[in-house]
Amino acid sequence: MSYVGQDGILNGDRRSPREPAAGRLAGFQPAPLAWRTALRIAWLELRASRARFLFVVLAVAVGVGSLTGVRGFSRAFRHMLLSQARTLMAGDMTLRIFGEPTPEQESVLGSLDSRGVRRTEITETVTMASAAATPDPLLISIKAVDPQLYPFYGAVKLDPKQPLAHALTADSVAVSDDLLMRLKVRTGDSLRIGGQDFRIAGVVTSEPDRMTGTLNVGPRVMMTREGLTRTGLITLGSRASERFLLRLPTGRPPDVAEVRAILKANFPEASIADYRETHPIITRGLDRATTFLSLIALIALVIGAMGVASAMHGHLQQKLDSIAVMKCLGARSAQVIRIYSVQTLLLGLAGGILGAVFGVGVAAAFPGMIARYFSIDIGASWDPLPAMEGIAIAALVTLLFTVPPLLGIRTIRPAQVFRRDMGSEKTPRSAAPHVARGAILLGTGAVAATLTEGSLRDALRTGLFFTIALTVGVALLAGAAWILLRILRMAQRRVSLLPAAIRHGLANLYRPGNQAQSAVVALGVGVMFTLMVFLIQGALVRQIRGSAPPGMPNVFLLDIPGQQREAISGLVRMQPGVTAAPEVASAVAARIKSIDGRPIESLGLRDMARRFSRTRSVTEIGAKPSETEVLSGAWWVPGDTRPQTCATEEAAKILHLKPGTEIEWDIWQHAVRTRVACIERTESIRMTARFEFLFSPGQLAGFPAVYYGSARVRPPSVAALERVLYEQYPTVTVVNVADVMQIVEDVVERIALVIRFISLFTILAGAVMVASSVAGTRFRRMREVVILKTLGASRRRIAWIFSVEFLALGAVAGLMGSLLASGFAALWVKNLLEIEFRPDWAAAALTIVLSAALAAGAGWAASFRVLGRKPLEILREE
Amino acid sequence: MIEVRAVTKSINTGTHRVDILKGIDLDIPRGQFAAIMGPSGSGKSTLLGLLAGLDSPTSGRIILDGEDITELSEDQMALVRGRKIGFVFQSYHLLPTLTAEENVLLPMELAGLEAERARARELLERVGLKGRFDHYPVQLSGGEQQRVALARAFALRPPILLADEPTGNLDSATGRVVLDLLLELNREEGCTLVLVTHEQALADCAGRRIVLRDGMVVT
Repeated sequence: MSYVGQDGILNGDRRSPREPAAGRLAGFQPAPLAWRTALRIAWLELRASRARFLFVVLAVAVGVGSLTGVRGFSRAFRHMLLSQARTLMAGDMTLRIFGEPTPEQESVLGSLDSRGVRRTEITETVTMASAAATPDPLLISIKAVDPQLYPFYGAVKLDPKQPLAHALTADSVAVSDDLLMRLKVRTGDSLRIGGQDFRIAGVVTSEPDRMTGTLNVGPRVMMTREGLTRTGLITLGSRASERFLLRLPTGRPPDVAEVRAILKANFPEASIADYRETHPIITRGLDRATTFLSLIALIALVIGAMGVASAMHGHLQQKLDSIAVMKCLGARSAQVIRIYSVQTLLLGLAGGILGAVFGVGVAAAFPGMIARYFSIDIGASWDPLPAMEGIAIAALVTLLFTVPPLLGIRTIRPAQVFRRDMGSEKTPRSAAPHVARGAILLGTGAVAATLTEGSLRDALRTGLFFTIALTVGVALLAGAAWILLRILRMAQRRVSLLPAAIRHGLANLYRPGNQAQSAVVALGVGVMFTLMVFLIQGALVRQIRGSAPPGMPNVFLLDIPGQQREAISGLVRMQPGVTAAPEVASAVAARIKSIDGRPIESLGLRDMARRFSRTRSVTEIGAKPSETEVLSGAWWVPGDTRPQTCATEEAAKILHLKPGTEIEWDIWQHAVRTRVACIERTESIRMTARFEFLFSPGQLAGFPAVYYGSARVRPPSVAALERVLYEQYPTVTVVNVADVMQIVEDVVERIALVIRFISLFTILAGAVMVASSVAGTRFRRMREVVILKTLGASRRRIAWIFSVEFLALGAVAGLMGSLLASGFAALWVKNLLEIEFRPDWAAAALTIVLSAALAAGAGWAASFRVLGRKPLEILREE
Repeated sequence: MIEVRAVTKSINTGTHRVDILKGIDLDIPRGQFAAIMGPSGSGKSTLLGLLAGLDSPTSGRIILDGEDITELSEDQMALVRGRKIGFVFQSYHLLPTLTAEENVLLPMELAGLEAERARARELLERVGLKGRFDHYPVQLSGGEQQRVALARAFALRPPILLADEPTGNLDSATGRVVLDLLLELNREEGCTLVLVTHEQALADCAGRRIVLRDGMVVT
């Protein structure tokens, strides 16, 4: 009797010839196969099957490459934010508020000044500017600084080179280069802002706190605080962004923690950041982007893992005899499983290591894609952590997905050596396959959770949703693939008019051992995802570009001085092209303190709902507009002087408001109590639709207010209106919605570009899976080539037959991916974005063609050598 | 019909060179049934493969029906095979994705001829597979598959038929049936038949025996 010794080698019988049989088995402890032996056998087999496994290693590498690229870039970006925090902030701390500090707050800042904390203020706002060459005004962003102090760290670089304090005076500015282009001006020319002229002293080529400032896209102007005062743009109640940079004394108190605590206590709504952490706004955005892109990359990795599982399944099918022989010689299933587990692990590690190398290139691509908004230099150093993370995840995920075929080893019977057609042993119904599937889902969800940035709750939630979405998606894809392949088969059998090469090519899809369905699903996942992003982006852009609903304002007027509002309204009304009387609304800054006596902080508002705990703009209104629908309660009647508010249905839902609820407000340090009179919904064509709280008349009288206006103007007449208003009221900012929409469209395009870049990796993984599937049938394919050549087929003919097979595979994947992409995109766009969706048949057709071409390329990459070999060489190998 | 002049065949296995055929000269006239025999490793299948143009000799010439096939390209050789040679493999080598009838039609389609279903069915009936036209190879036994292969080999009425141990994978009873069919079809079609075998009884049916040993013809 043989057994496997401690060294894992099958040993001959070691018993004494005189030892009775019973004694031989007494106390027999079967030994596990040594890892070293399992590794040796696994390695030898892998070497012999290089061609089969090369492509699946590549598929895993593609997934790992995209994952490590995303996370490597994210870590490098985060590291840069942290290591250069002072420079990026231009100070040790920043304090950002909307509106001027109150006298009490000024006093707190003054007390810090006296303790050695240096401070400088930056004001950022938007306004209009014009130049002599282009009288039409342009919407610009202004940043007003004290050049004697700003920046505390880093430097603003100008062209021509000069110190900032020299360039910026009360009547000179520095501009961004796109402003020169838009207004057709040069350095030295004059710019008109707020009715005042400024000389352009230079172009800003580098600004240390560009990323952490207010993200106003569009042409930018930097000026002194005196210059801003000259323009008269900032009045009481203006909603400009105020940012204070603080530089702390070195080596003595107060330290950053103490200052932070003081500021937090006295500026409850302010955004405070210090150099010890990355900027919260950027970090939040980075976290979300990293999570989202990591999950897309994980899809590519899962495809690769599915490829490994599929290849391993095919490999084990070919090794049935070897495994049966091993079992005849005394090997147990667990020992054989160990060998192939090691093999799987080696494949996962190989793919992971290769992918980690890929990932360096992927990470390097990101800065260029977002260069327009962020100037990022992440340096040349390499962070090993994302690579190690990627390799570990690759090994884990490939092992997980290979569990089902590995478990199948248990069903191989030794007697199959003699009769292959015995088939696998029918094991009693066991929980093992279900446990294996459960482990795959759980493991994949756990991996998705670890890739999620944020709290544990966010991670668990993301992991769960990702697993459900992936399972449903793959199941739908597999079902669709099965149906389409069946239809194709029926059509191929029935339509005898097809040329022979096409019939034979299509018939090859059903070749025994062909993993056509898996290959179609793998390629289809990537196609579906990429096309879905494209379709959603298209719907968004169409919505942005499309004409607004009738009556929707397309021009907004900001910072209308209160005493001039009637005059401005009258001026606008008189202009040609104005199709509706302009609407002017006042806005007062107010903050909710409590609801029915309960402090707002105790409501636990999260995410977007947190806006209700900060200062909001509210307005007052008399009669109910016709576009306003009262959903519950009642609008105030004329003459009713009780303090009342009407809330939008969304605000009511979040804050649990109903008619009769008492709200306490802090309006310019005055406590104001109102009763909720009604819950309303207003059509978006009205300005007041933008206010979540409407006050009854008289409640906001006496408080500083800013006025906004809106108008509906025929698009060709907008420029003329801007010109007229700018000439007479240069401090009023005119926002042409079309311009803003162009900027939004640009941002959407950039975001979609980044997402599509990563989702292309899912397509690449799918294409590699197709190649792997083709490589897996290499031997059968070679035999077919022999038969066809023997029967008189030319190489060109054989090439046609194979090409038809690959093209059909790709076309089915493309068709399936297009159909599902259109379906999911329609669901997303209609239900989540609530905008119109139109199928894009041209994009779907192009997708099918490209998918077919890609599959043909992948298939030929895996089989081109087969054609060139002489038939007898192949027969000799058999 | 078949002329072989000083043919050698060597292959490189990476570490050393193997001389499979070391100088073969023979003539097989039209209509002859020749059996190539020899021990395992003597080069029988290699010689047969060279006669079918499935590989090129290292040196020497092979002329089939007056046409020197030695220097022909792959595609030219494919055309010759389609017109002149029927081949029966030891392992049947049917295309698994085609039915029995489609496998028999395949040579006609590859030659660009009209698919003669009647001819295919007649051949299948001739080999005893009436009613099995729509069956796939996986649904046929080994003997049945070899019979389909026979029908396929005769589909285009080739002047030359080459068979490489056609009964090697079959039991003796089935092998006998297949062999009888092969010889019967050959008589009807009047082909030149060259058959590789290691069975003495089969070789006794042949009109001529060619014995190979160590890559050379000994008788």
